[in-house]
Amino acid sequence: MKTLLPILGGLANVAIVLVIAPFFQGVLRKVTARIQSRQGPPIWQAYYDLLKLLGKEDIESGEIPLMQRFSVYLSLATVLTLACLVPMGFPAPMNGAGDAILLIYLLTLSGVCTLLAGLAAGSTYSLIGISREMMTMIALEPLFAVAIVIGAVHTGSFRLDTVLNGSVYATGVPVSGVIMLAVMLLSFQAFVQRVPFDISEAETEIMEGPLMEYSGPKLALLKYAQMAKLVIYSALFVALFVPWGAGLPFGLGWLAFWAKVFVLVLLVTLVAATHARYRIDQAIRYFAGLLGVAMIALVLAGYGY
Amino acid sequence: MMTPEQAVVASIGLCVAGAVLTLLVSRNKTVAGWLAFAITAGSAALILSAVAQVLARGPAHPEQFLKMPAVGFALRIYVDGLTSIFLLLAVLVAVPAALYSIRYMKHYEDYGVARYYPNFLLFLAAMYGLLSTTDMMWFFFIFWQMMTLPGYALIRFENRKPENIRAANKYLIMMQIACVATMIGAELLAITGAAASGSETLKYDFDTVSANLPALLAGKPAVTALAFALFLVGFGIKMGMWPFGQVWLPDAHPAAPSPVSAMLSGVMIKTGAYGLMRYFLWLVPPSAVADYPLANWGAVVAVLGTITLFTGTMQALKQEQSKRLLAFHSIGQIGYILLGTGACMALLPAKGPNATVLAAIAFFGALFHVLNHGLFKGLLFLNAGSMLLATGTQDLNKMGGLMKFMPLTAVTALVASLSISGVPLFNGFASKWSIFVGTVQGGSAAKYLGVCAIIAILTSALTLASFIKFFGVSFLSRTSALVRDKAAASLRDAAALEVGAMMQLPQVFLAALCVLLGVIPALAFQLIGGALNASRQGCGIALANAAPMAGGAWRGLENLHGTALFAPLALATVLALVFVVVCVLSKLGAAQRRADVPWLCGYAREAECHRYVAHNFYGEIKRYFRWLGGMPKPRAGAVTDPGSQTTNH
Repeated sequence: MKTLLPILGGLANVAIVLVIAPFFQGVLRKVTARIQSRQGPPIWQAYYDLLKLLGKEDIESGEIPLMQRFSVYLSLATVLTLACLVPMGFPAPMNGAGDAILLIYLLTLSGVCTLLAGLAAGSTYSLIGISREMMTMIALEPLFAVAIVIGAVHTGSFRLDTVLNGSVYATGVPVSGVIMLAVMLLSFQAFVQRVPFDISEAETEIMEGPLMEYSGPKLALLKYAQMAKLVIYSALFVALFVPWGAGLPFGLGWLAFWAKVFVLVLLVTLVAATHARYRIDQAIRYFAGLLGVAMIALVLAGYGY
Repeated sequence: MMTPEQAVVASIGLCVAGAVLTLLVSRNKTVAGWLAFAITAGSAALILSAVAQVLARGPAHPEQFLKMPAVGFALRIYVDGLTSIFLLLAVLVAVPAALYSIRYMKHYEDYGVARYYPNFLLFLAAMYGLLSTTDMMWFFFIFWQMMTLPGYALIRFENRKPENIRAANKYLIMMQIACVATMIGAELLAITGAAASGSETLKYDFDTVSANLPALLAGKPAVTALAFALFLVGFGIKMGMWPFGQVWLPDAHPAAPSPVSAMLSGVMIKTGAYGLMRYFLWLVPPSAVADYPLANWGAVVAVLGTITLFTGTMQALKQEQSKRLLAFHSIGQIGYILLGTGACMALLPAKGPNATVLAAIAFFGALFHVLNHGLFKGLLFLNAGSMLLATGTQDLNKMGGLMKFMPLTAVTALVASLSISGVPLFNGFASKWSIFVGTVQGGSAAKYLGVCAIIAILTSALTLASFIKFFGVSFLSRTSALVRDKAAASLRDAAALEVGAMMQLPQVFLAALCVLLGVIPALAFQLIGGALNASRQGCGIALANAAPMAGGAWRGLENLHGTALFAPLALATVLALVFVVVCVLSKLGAAQRRADVPWLCGYAREAECHRYVAHNFYGEIKRYFRWLGGMPKPRAGAVTDPGSQTTNH
């Protein structure tokens, strides 16, 4: 039973992410359309898109198709592995496989796969997108790390079930935790690669960047990974910063968790639908400012505030 | 059966004899190469037997060779655990480098190998000696010069290029400054030594100095502080610590032949790390710790390490020459080693429930990173050598699409790139993980460590960015004009662009070690734990007693009572299973595959000027950090590239 539980939990998390991710995407598109006074596609459109893409012709433009396949498969595989490390209404199933530092680096790895996929495709537009995406990652990785580290400093532990349980507020509601909540809210769009920080894809400008050359099943997998990332980052955010209600009886606590995630997705949609894209240099300046604030929060956390 | 000390002396003797022999046969490149490889392998076998003995049975006793008591002169050799780890690293890099040299050195048509193999072997012998001598003055000087002068000759191997001569001169001058600084430091510590210890023992020996240190620390704190500051400067220059590293290292590494670059970066600069650890942590006996401002030195080293890792990596991000980029990353990675060592020094005297354990974790990380950096940076320089051999250039702007032509080199380069960037399941992650655990949780005892840790995490993202560029623009992307020409030419000569088996083997060996230590890092931690157990002197006793790591192959790494853990095998299993699921998912629609060229918005054909090259990457970040220096020279012919103005976003 003791060894079976993480396996079942992991399977459950993977299944939840796979099932729910296109639904969130559908909601996102529908709400965006309504905000922009359009009718919008049916809410199940994302499922239809994925199914349709799986059967379409797969054009490989790169010089090393094996590398393209490998990095695309790995991209979704990493995201699904991540799902096992993130609490989704109950503690993370793979608590025993790694700690919060691993989580930070795995999140980066999932980005790296997309970058490799784009590099293998070899289009100039892909490479422009990769350069931008990597610059965004440089700024975002330490931001997320500060949030995790503040939790780890407050609780003295790196365990996922300890850190991803509202650990930023472990000592009452400290100043550092509140500052980090604000910082993460202000940068959340970038973590899930939505407007105004979808600079690396920028459909109207560099035609989806790293994804530009992909079609058919590979595009389906990359899109799937992107949708799954929205779910996973939202779950992480809720687990880290909005722990209230987790103590409810199992079923209710689980519902409360997904309700919070859903609200967060709506918030992302609202911001995305009402903002225009930033340029990469503007975005970097913005992240640098946030990183400065985050560093102040980290120092405050060190002194117990 | 030889004692470890005798084995080390024998291997030094073997290498020196080998230097003479290879000089004699140097007219024939192949014979000299195989001879040098055989001698390197022989000395490696001797060293490995010594290391195995020390780790299995604990250290033997220091032994003296070449005694001249009248002038306080004797070659006193002592192989303990700490020395063993560095010796192990030396052979792990030297043997592949020697094998790689055999074929690689043949491509220098204008230069003979008479100046190469003898110097290579002397260089190796000097490192064995420097890592195991206990003499802080004479034999330190002898081995240091034996390392510096052949190193100088190797860096200026291609002596018809003026920039190589300049690089070698800089290296020589910096190493002599380092030598003088370290020797003055030793003299300051030994100045009262002779009187206190009598005439039988050696004045400049570790044991003598260590025995005299308590009195000196209590009586003359300023003098000892000056001595330790000089050690920090001396070894800092050797390691490539900021601000000294930027002076010599980025010029010296690219100038040398690639296997020597691997040795310089993989092993030689680690002798500085060895010196730093040995002098700051092992020299001061536990009885004198109260008078020894270890925490302050730790703060200095950790902060210098943080500056080093950030500046080195940020400057590396700007580079467009393959080996120069790698050289700057050596500075960056040395910063991690300094940070781990500094955190250990800062936390060791701190009061707190876990301070000693955290110090030990940080030190494990630093020592593991020493090993890892040797492996993946050695590999990267060999990769760069293969690329140089295939394309004839170090310029990343002219490369592209090499993976199609040299798949094996590409795969090993990918492994090395992911390792150095700290991607989980590769060895670089395990050591960085350990350093981060030590520094983040140590933040409660020394507040600045938390900020250092975040800068280190930021820097590992920078490292990743740099290697995405390095790997992407050279092996992936689109085939460049240069590569296309070279491939066509090699087809005419009925030869592939990929390097031969004798150059592939060393690369595969190092890549396999990177993966092995990444998936089962507990192996390395057991090795380091055993090594610390076999070097119980000074602060080493506290570190050995702390024994922070639990775990095994399947459970991975666990410390602090399981509050920090990393089980790579479990993770790899899950990843592999999910990968299979994803593969199946992608096949469900039975989609047809077709190959085609990338779409270029309707332009007919892709030309060389449409390629997105190394120069174009990360324009904004490069611009914001222009003040940090290290900008490459303006590109010749950049004017002909209409994309450079508009595509550097």
